[in-house]
Amino acid sequence: MATSTNTARARRAIKRRELFSNLAGIGASPASAQACTGASLIPNVALRTHDGKEVRFYEDLVKGRQVIINMMYAHCEEFCPAITTRLVEIHQALAARMGRDLFMYSITLKPQEDDPGALKAFARMHGALLPGWTFLTGDAYDIETLRFALFRHDHIKFDLDPASHTAKLRIINDAINRWVHVPPLASTMTVLQHISWADPPKSFEQQLEDNRKLQLAIDKEHELYGYRKIV
Amino acid sequence: MRRCTIGRAGLAAGLMALLLANAPTLLLAANACEQELRTTRSLTQQYYMILAGQTDVFYDHSGPTFVMLQRTAVDETDVGAFGIYAGERKQPVFGPVPASVYERFVSESRKPADVLLRLSLSKPQYDRALAVMQSWERRVREKALLYPDIAMDNILLVKQATEELNRCRETIVGYGLDWGLRDDISEHNVASRIPYEYFRELARLNAARHVADAH
Repeated sequence: MATSTNTARARRAIKRRELFSNLAGIGASPASAQACTGASLIPNVALRTHDGKEVRFYEDLVKGRQVIINMMYAHCEEFCPAITTRLVEIHQALAARMGRDLFMYSITLKPQEDDPGALKAFARMHGALLPGWTFLTGDAYDIETLRFALFRHDHIKFDLDPASHTAKLRIINDAINRWVHVPPLASTMTVLQHISWADPPKSFEQQLEDNRKLQLAIDKEHELYGYRKIV
Repeated sequence: MRRCTIGRAGLAAGLMALLLANAPTLLLAANACEQELRTTRSLTQQYYMILAGQTDVFYDHSGPTFVMLQRTAVDETDVGAFGIYAGERKQPVFGPVPASVYERFVSESRKPADVLLRLSLSKPQYDRALAVMQSWERRVREKALLYPDIAMDNILLVKQATEELNRCRETIVGYGLDWGLRDDISEHNVASRIPYEYFRELARLNAARHVADAH
């Protein structure tokens, strides 16, 4: 009996500290059905552009806009240079819209290595210092949050492999809440087609005009190849 | 046990600042391995990771599953748990587990199906696991979880925390929880049940390493 009392006293004397904040309500419960808007889906994390400017991802770069987003890192020697070259082609094809109603963002997967200067050098090397195209870096924690929000596969193995996220382009038109994705190494035409799926709605007259042009292109292909080849 | 009397919010903020200042970040992991290999076990401080899991508590037959860390010294102890626990309405909640919940689980007699594996750690292992859990605490606090389903977040938490133990050398028998072809646990279970089955498998594989009582 005396021993157990002594033990109890000894235990009472131990100073105890909680490792984690124990505030009521901090925990997350299963999400209920909610409006899936850009503001709720896209993290508004603080980032830095290749020019060293501080920006908020959602508020400053995405809100109300149509954007094309990819992930890369400056010393990536496998797919990133090829993807950046493809994006330069995309930029050229959509040059009239770039920086006006369409924007491109390349976010580094390795913010520890890629400061604004490294990103700018990468962009310059690939001829990607173009209007409406911004390279971004930031805190590793925030980049991770962004990576999951935009490129998550809902598969543990793939999601923990950041490199797998270089193989996807995310296209978002926040104004109409439309999300599309496409492999960046698909043909330029395929990528452009996917980008167009997130375009703002067209007027009826514009749709008729587009259909007229498309029919001309189909007819031309039949003349050239005897069948519909690309369009 | 003596409870601090300062406000809970102040305590939490103070402790967070203290811990963030002292705990190494994951970015220092490369150096941490050198430290771990040089570290000798302290005679005055013990470090533990406790993996706790239950089943058939929630509607989908899953249950609370959390990772607990404990540092004990002669006259003080740091303790905390993080993962999924049953909230007031018996709903699953992902976050810091209230002390009353993890104390009850660790101290009370458990059902045969319950899992509890207590592993002794080195200080570097403890620090790395703590950094993982602090990162998740920040995600919960800032509402920046990585998945819309908290069951998936919990899978990532338990995977990252336990895999930190083997980062430098194999100290426990691990299980490849990666949704790959050899991962039968992920193949045969819904996401909410995977951490429990993972803990059960780790407990089976590491039965000889289980420390019966941390006191």
